[in-house]
Amino acid sequence: MPTEVIMPKVDMDMDRGKVSVWHVAEGETVEKGAALFDIETDKAAMEVEAPASGKLHHVLAQPGADVPVGHPIAWIYAEGEEVGAIPDAADMPAAEPRQEAPSGSAPGAEGSAPNVPLAVSASDLDRPRATPAARRMVRAAGLDLADISGSGPHGRIQAADVERAIEARRRAPAPPPSRAPEAVEPSAPSVWADQSGALHVSRSKGEGRPLVMIHGFAADSMGWRPFEQALASRRPLIRIDLPSHGRSPRRRFASFPDFVRSVREAFDAVGLDEPVDLLAHSLGGAVALALADVRPRNIASLALIAPAGLGPQADAETLLGIARASRAESLAPWLKRLAGSPDAISWDFVKAAMVSREDPDLRQAQLDLAGVLFPDGTQSFDLSAALDRLEVPTTMIWGRRDMVIPWQHALRADGTVALHLLRESGHIPHVECPATVAGIVKRHLECAGR
Amino acid sequence: MNVPTTVEKPGSRELSYAEALREAMGLALERDDRVILMGEDIGVYGGAFQVTGDLVDRFGTDRVRDTPISELGGAGVAVGAALTGLRPIFEFQFSDFAMLAMEQIANQAAKLRYMLGGEASVPVVMRMPGGSGTGAAAQHSQSLEAWFGHVPGLKVVQPSTPEDAKGLLLAALEDPDPVIIFEHKMLYKMKGEVPEGWYTTPIGKAAIRREGTDVTIVASAIMVHRALAAADELAKDGISVEVIDLRSVRPIDRETIIASVKKTGKLVCVYEGVRTLGVGAEISAMIAESEAFDFLDAPIQRLGGAEAPIPYNPELEKAAVPQTPGIVDCVRKLVGGQV
Repeated sequence: MPTEVIMPKVDMDMDRGKVSVWHVAEGETVEKGAALFDIETDKAAMEVEAPASGKLHHVLAQPGADVPVGHPIAWIYAEGEEVGAIPDAADMPAAEPRQEAPSGSAPGAEGSAPNVPLAVSASDLDRPRATPAARRMVRAAGLDLADISGSGPHGRIQAADVERAIEARRRAPAPPPSRAPEAVEPSAPSVWADQSGALHVSRSKGEGRPLVMIHGFAADSMGWRPFEQALASRRPLIRIDLPSHGRSPRRRFASFPDFVRSVREAFDAVGLDEPVDLLAHSLGGAVALALADVRPRNIASLALIAPAGLGPQADAETLLGIARASRAESLAPWLKRLAGSPDAISWDFVKAAMVSREDPDLRQAQLDLAGVLFPDGTQSFDLSAALDRLEVPTTMIWGRRDMVIPWQHALRADGTVALHLLRESGHIPHVECPATVAGIVKRHLECAGR
Repeated sequence: MNVPTTVEKPGSRELSYAEALREAMGLALERDDRVILMGEDIGVYGGAFQVTGDLVDRFGTDRVRDTPISELGGAGVAVGAALTGLRPIFEFQFSDFAMLAMEQIANQAAKLRYMLGGEASVPVVMRMPGGSGTGAAAQHSQSLEAWFGHVPGLKVVQPSTPEDAKGLLLAALEDPDPVIIFEHKMLYKMKGEVPEGWYTTPIGKAAIRREGTDVTIVASAIMVHRALAAADELAKDGISVEVIDLRSVRPIDRETIIASVKKTGKLVCVYEGVRTLGVGAEISAMIAESEAFDFLDAPIQRLGGAEAPIPYNPELEKAAVPQTPGIVDCVRKLVGGQV
């Protein structure tokens, strides 16, 4: 069996690469370890050695072709081995896990040898999840499913996602294929209008005591999904989108108490006749503490993930960087700072996050909100006293690698608060290790229910 | 059959579903001597659900014939009468009892045209009160459309309105082959506009009861009304539902359903029969095989009867078949991307 030559992964955030030159021509002999071809990535050019000795055949990636990492680009046949048809890559053990589906070239894009997508489609192991309608629309529009993030269940790409992608392409014509990152012209701050109406609250039905969830700055209720799946609870889940976040209206606030008031109104409007459990992250944690202070009888327990409001420090650069980012490329580096390990933030995750941040008004509203809540990069509100006044079971979960809010803020808590410090996690443990966090929350809810 | 097949712009008035059926039978008895009615207690008693009513007084016991309590015997006579030139309309008291007559329906009526090389046909109409909701429990509440729909040689219809009850019954009479009409017991008292005179509702043609753009609900019989109520509720959330009244289980109107799913991209099948291997399963498969496949933007959903006999307890009886809130919930989840 011939040896497969694949597009190697030479740096962490690389998912495609380009062959710039072949050092061996098709049909020529090559020694194992000798220079076989050069690749170019966004950051570097480097030489790749032949993985075996023999003759080079079936060169699929011509110079200039952009190939997903892990996809075969040629085969080396041992001396005397009969050269047949192109081996079906799906039958062969993949040298590296397939990263994503091959990218068909969009009309107008340059640099893809036409035979590459055809050849690699045979080895397409991880097909993106998409509805038939989305697939039809992608075909008609000349797009690539791999470039679209799905908002449906399990990341399924739906017709609306494709419509968004088509709209995005219309607004921003095909990016230049050159390696130089496009200069981002500073956009004038958009003047956004205050919106009226209640905060967006989504509920899922269930049995037992409801769990109310409040997300963090620049996130939204969708961010709970991995956690919800891991929790697999039969309780009713009630998710509040903070003002100027997710599907809630954009609002201006003069202060943190002002901000909390609007959430309290939404909480009151939910119409709960029994106390509920409250789970909150980051800025949502500070809001939850403030809520618990004014509505102690409505709250049965509190679970806080890396809550804000327990100390002055916060990495405002990261928060602003996320709020400001107008495209996935500028969002990714900041999102990576949220996790304990940058590898935890996949490109798909970034793209999905960007889809929900496409509205420039939403981004500007969040930037303005950050200006109010975090002036001069400082947490302007202090909930330590509220934390001390809590009389309900409280659990705090914090990643020891949190770069946004120092985990040491957890030590403000008195001894009655359960602390879970996760060694490998960053600021978003419920996204990084949903199963672990769900396990902690489950035990917490069980104890609180007694 | 010497009957006009076109409607001459008749007036219409409000009749109940049962009255519409009675009017259809009265018209047929008036116009065609070959038409006879048969069934248990359809004469002086007026039928188990009072559908035949006073027809025995108008047309006499020769043409409105009570039959003994033997479904197999009665159905056999009806099939034989149809085969030899009459146009019998045979009433079962409950569709559940048709099981006793399966040999005559599935093995004789449905097959004789084929087995006799087209030299004969069996133009019999069988009326079957079906469905749950009357507290009549497991042996009197089933929805067996799919059983009969599985037999080539039969046609199976399910009117959901008084107008269609009359129109489909007359269409069944005009049809040269056996037609089963499932009349929903809970619809007998439902009132609606019914045109006067002779008209037919085409067999094999669905009706779009409400136009919409977000999701297609295909429903039949009483489920059409629950789907429409659900659509009203969902409209408040800005969800636009298209409701298709299937009307005919065999043949199924592929074109109407396919066109609708191509428009909405989402399909929910609502039917009262047991969910597994039911009418909704057929429609789901038909769509998955069709050109509409490429337009699906969410998994197809089926809401059908529970995998259990219909319970006697009224609350459990309701829970055993789709109800409006369940339809609303299903559509919300589907449109909300939770499925």
